[in-house]
Amino acid sequence: MTLELKSIFNNQLNQWVIEVQGEIDVFTAKDFREELIRTYNEKQENIILDFGNLNYLDSTGLGVIIGAYGRMKEQGKEISIKNAKSNILKLMTITGLDKILIKSNC
Amino acid sequence: MVDLLKFSIPGKPDYVGVVRLAVSSVANRAGFDIEAIEDIKVAVSEACNNAILHGIHENCCNYEVACFLDEKKLTIVIDDQGEGYNTIDYLEPDLKHPKEGGLGIFIIKTLMDEVEIMSDKIKGTTIKMTKYI
Repeated sequence: MTLELKSIFNNQLNQWVIEVQGEIDVFTAKDFREELIRTYNEKQENIILDFGNLNYLDSTGLGVIIGAYGRMKEQGKEISIKNAKSNILKLMTITGLDKILIKSNC
Repeated sequence: MVDLLKFSIPGKPDYVGVVRLAVSSVANRAGFDIEAIEDIKVAVSEACNNAILHGIHENCCNYEVACFLDEKKLTIVIDDQGEGYNTIDYLEPDLKHPKEGGLGIFIIKTLMDEVEIMSDKIKGTTIKMTKYI
């Protein structure tokens, strides 16, 4: 029931990669939101969320991503998800959020 | 014969993960496959979120989770004694205007086989969900 976040700015691709490990739920969503805001405020560039080690995501976590998506879209920037596990992909698919958050080349 | 397992949980975000683990264990015991266990886990967790975020005042009191288990199905009832909230006007996700909230009940209804929601300003909110084995 922990969440670990590691944010790295890739200078070559000019984008953030945030590695997310553990679980995002109503308990940890606040930390996730703060990290997304912190990184984007530091450098306003696209964000890739690497969900390779994320085991659980719920609607509060989805809400945080949607919030960031809305704020970034206004400034012409994108947030996207890669390496999501099947349980998380299912949640993205049933809510339709896969269409706006998962790129085919991720 | 129906087996009943009942949990009383403080209305704090800290303990939703504990409920998830407990209910996953019950679903595993019932004989559900991994995908169905994951569905049950997510649905129950969303109902707990609603109890904490919209039902009872956060941190004020406990809510109850009851699991009714028989050979054919698992029914889970999440019951809070809060002030109730609007459970009817939930909307399906609108991808042109995605919103940060309001996905929980949609997710519960998608993942479970049967869902009943009763919300009352005096009695609080009860979400009853069933998954067939």
